[in-house]
Amino acid sequence: MKRHLVPTLAAAAALALLTACGGGGSSDQAGDGPQTLKVALWNYATTPEFKAIIDGFQQTHPDIKVEPVDILADDYAEKVTTMLAGGDSTDVLTMKNVIDYSRFGTRGQLVPLTDEAKKLDATKYSGLDAYDLDGKYFALPYRQDFWVLYYNKTLLKQAGVPESKLQNLTWQGYAELAKSLTKGDGGSKVYGAYQHTWRSVVEATAAAQTGGDLLGGDYGFFKDQYQLTLDLQKNGALMPWATASSQKVTYNTMFSTGKAALMPMGTWYASTLLADTKSGKTKVEWGVAPLPQRAADGKVTTFGSPTAFAVNKNSKHTEAAKTFVEWASSEAGATAVAKAGVTPSLQDQKILDAYFALPGVPNDAIAKKAFKPDQVVLEMPVGDKSADVDQILTEEHELIMTGEKSLDDGLAEMSKRVKNEVG
Amino acid sequence: MTLTAAPPTRTTPPPADPPVRGRRQLFSVRRVFAYVLLTVLSVAVLVPFAWMVSSSLKLDAEVFSVPIRWIPAEFHWDNFTRIWERIPLLTYLRNSVFLSLTITALQVLTGSFAAYGFAKVRFPGRDALFLAYIATIAVPWQAYMVPQYIIMQKAGLVNTHLSLILLQAFSAFGVFLMRQYYLTIPDELSEAARLDGLSEYGIWARIVLPLSKPALASLALLTFVNTWNDYMGPFIYLTDNKLWTIQLGLRSFVGLYDAEYAMIMTGSVLSVLPILVIFLLGQKYFVQGIATSGMK
Amino acid sequence: MASTPTTLPAPGVSGGGRYRATRRRRSSTWVGWSFILPNFLGFATLTLVPVIASLALSFLDWDSYSTPRWVGLANFERMIHNDTFWTALRNTAYYAVGHVPLTLAAALGFAVLLNQKLRGVQFFRTALFFPYITSLVAVAVVWNMLLSPDLGPVNQFLRGLGIDHPPGWTTSTTWAMPAVIVASVWRDLGYYMILYLAGLQTIPAELYEAAQVDGASGWQRFWHITVPSLRPTTFFVLIMLTISSFKVFDLIQVMTEGGPGRSTLVLSQVIFREGITQGRFGYSSAVSMVLFVIVLTITVVQFRWQRRSER
Repeated sequence: MKRHLVPTLAAAAALALLTACGGGGSSDQAGDGPQTLKVALWNYATTPEFKAIIDGFQQTHPDIKVEPVDILADDYAEKVTTMLAGGDSTDVLTMKNVIDYSRFGTRGQLVPLTDEAKKLDATKYSGLDAYDLDGKYFALPYRQDFWVLYYNKTLLKQAGVPESKLQNLTWQGYAELAKSLTKGDGGSKVYGAYQHTWRSVVEATAAAQTGGDLLGGDYGFFKDQYQLTLDLQKNGALMPWATASSQKVTYNTMFSTGKAALMPMGTWYASTLLADTKSGKTKVEWGVAPLPQRAADGKVTTFGSPTAFAVNKNSKHTEAAKTFVEWASSEAGATAVAKAGVTPSLQDQKILDAYFALPGVPNDAIAKKAFKPDQVVLEMPVGDKSADVDQILTEEHELIMTGEKSLDDGLAEMSKRVKNEVG
Repeated sequence: MTLTAAPPTRTTPPPADPPVRGRRQLFSVRRVFAYVLLTVLSVAVLVPFAWMVSSSLKLDAEVFSVPIRWIPAEFHWDNFTRIWERIPLLTYLRNSVFLSLTITALQVLTGSFAAYGFAKVRFPGRDALFLAYIATIAVPWQAYMVPQYIIMQKAGLVNTHLSLILLQAFSAFGVFLMRQYYLTIPDELSEAARLDGLSEYGIWARIVLPLSKPALASLALLTFVNTWNDYMGPFIYLTDNKLWTIQLGLRSFVGLYDAEYAMIMTGSVLSVLPILVIFLLGQKYFVQGIATSGMK
Repeated sequence: MASTPTTLPAPGVSGGGRYRATRRRRSSTWVGWSFILPNFLGFATLTLVPVIASLALSFLDWDSYSTPRWVGLANFERMIHNDTFWTALRNTAYYAVGHVPLTLAAALGFAVLLNQKLRGVQFFRTALFFPYITSLVAVAVVWNMLLSPDLGPVNQFLRGLGIDHPPGWTTSTTWAMPAVIVASVWRDLGYYMILYLAGLQTIPAELYEAAQVDGASGWQRFWHITVPSLRPTTFFVLIMLTISSFKVFDLIQVMTEGGPGRSTLVLSQVIFREGITQGRFGYSSAVSMVLFVIVLTITVVQFRWQRRSER
């Protein structure tokens, strides 16, 4: 054993010392013959769109083999950062959020795709401009999520609330409705609404609907939305944030087991509901309404975030990788994505029709309106401060929601910290 | 080559150390008190674990019931059969066993060997070198993860088991632990052996090693457990699902199916069981007193 | 690369004075190195070099891709003016001050209790060691459930005792750190207990027998035999505990992720966030440097102190 070990180690040490510490290329070689593309993605088993895209691509490009590199969603950013730092050559990287994208892009870790992006019809692609870094593009979006209001049809019926009430819902109306739908207590309690623990539920909503700037350092515009949420929580119509957080409550469980009647959530959740209904995991009867608004003027403003594919600078198959990225955001790719129950970035009537034709997708007037918002604001503006501000806002959000800080103190602290630590 | 490479099995456990006092004295108030104290505290320590086991036998919906039911209404043993279909648990277990055993063996072997140099051989620069070892223990792994990863990437070892073996088999921890024990072994012993014409290697193999069996056993066990439970290492270095360890598998299961509490607990129980068995097997080496005959 | 020297001069056997012959000293250098080398090769390549590299990084601005830029003390300057760094430093110290003495006392107490001839010792030992071998994923879920503010058994129990407003534990800035400390003592206790047990096994029974003959009481035996004999073990435990307390990462990451707010944010999390999540390797190395210096200082002090008591 030891005799074996010393040469191995010596070899490893020699290898390590020969190459100086630093960035740059890696040492695996590209094979000949059919190319194999590695695609970094997350939760392959439970995210149907990835399989849909890969299968669709394979049908039209049999000469390129696609291999998923499956990473756990929670750890995705850390893993990809480490891989890139070490010079890993995984060909295609999924850009899970725009903040990470801008970091990889501005550092030159991605292959420029400006020409490819310019070919796309910008009026039809929702979320494309989020990838504009000083006129350069390093990724092409294939999917665009935005927030809607999910509701449990059975619970509404039991309470005698007509669904048409959700057509033009204001936040005030949402609050009253949530209070009236709350019933029971202890283990059998049904909450009128569930708002997940993420800060975006409150903050991105407020920013989108008031036009406030999340990076600006002045957060007075959060106040109404927080006030409403805190009141509902105090009232018992929302599960307390502290409970949801300490028990790691999942929004899927809350909604699909009928423990909450209303739930603001992203469009991606529809694909989970579709899949779970199909497999019999849930029997919940669900509908989709537009996200509640500040005023009932019939205009729907919501927020969302696109998802994109990018090509790793260290890729040994740049051309094949580009082909894949382009295909995913093309009409063929968008159709595959839509059929998996996910809203694609390419917003075109034909593709929307394909989406609504899926068995189980609500396609009444309310849902149709929900899926066609008038304005989708980017969840978090992109800039070099985004990640730091995001961290601060998350921390202070926790303190406001657990009641550890009063609302005014929390908002003041946010402003103070963003100005001091990031500015 | 594993931690069960033990001396011939003993039929009776040797006496533990405080020497046998008079039989009369054994049944004292203090003993009763010790029992009561131990029982209460052990039960308290085991509460979270009891919750884990009881949850693993429930349905998902029953896990977070209010009030808490410690005994499941009905026992769902099928959780333990279903989980094998849900995730490739066998592969994960095999990988974990392989990695833990290899790393433990290497760690114990090279660690105890190096520790002898640090504890019993005097040479210039020894203490500086030892300080370098200790110094690295003081650096959190998060800090040098990236440079380390770059070295591995350059050596083409990323996404292989070898990377983890090399990474964890030569930690400073083992050297440090063994050195502490060797220091408690009187120098007179090795001096006497030198007079008998034993080389330093002979002294290490024939005198010091047998004397430090409990320490070796505890190092082996601790290394094994650490490797077994390590999440960050495999997470950073292993991408291929075929190479995953049980912790990666469990964590990804939790991430994917976070509402399947019962299954998560089932997986947790299964991930702990092998370790428990190993610990129970290894117990006797801890209990084994050191043969003190060589000290006279 | 040099490999182990194959021709070793036989160590001088019938040596005269210990420090007389240089030949003897040289040979002992060879012998010493030959013992250390197998481990040192792996250690140097994969730990020492990366550690040194990361410390060097603290003077650079490097995002892993571009060419590193020398920025001198800029990273440290940023750190000194960064509120989050100070918060994390305070929290880390708080955690260590709670975790070290509690774990040490509990581990020693249990080890001594278990080192008697009691029936069922095996069971107790296993029970106490159990938390340490349980997967962290499960541990976090279990503890968060136990400590859940509304429905958790701990608070149900406290309400039963007549405490109307039990603490919110991991959801309260005041109680989150104590909750984490309790969980960490629970988890680590068995590990250090095993170390102490192994240490207790090395104490020759003759010592106790002699003390018994002299009529020493149980306490006296404990203070005058057990504690001094366990000094090497205690030294080891203390150093390991201190280091692991300052480096604590896993448990906090899975239990509270540093929250609520920043009330349980510790230095290693700052290092992880800045380096691995944000890719600011220079800055995160600077923070590691500080953590390293703190831990090293404490360790060296403990080392010196132990040496003095060895004499």
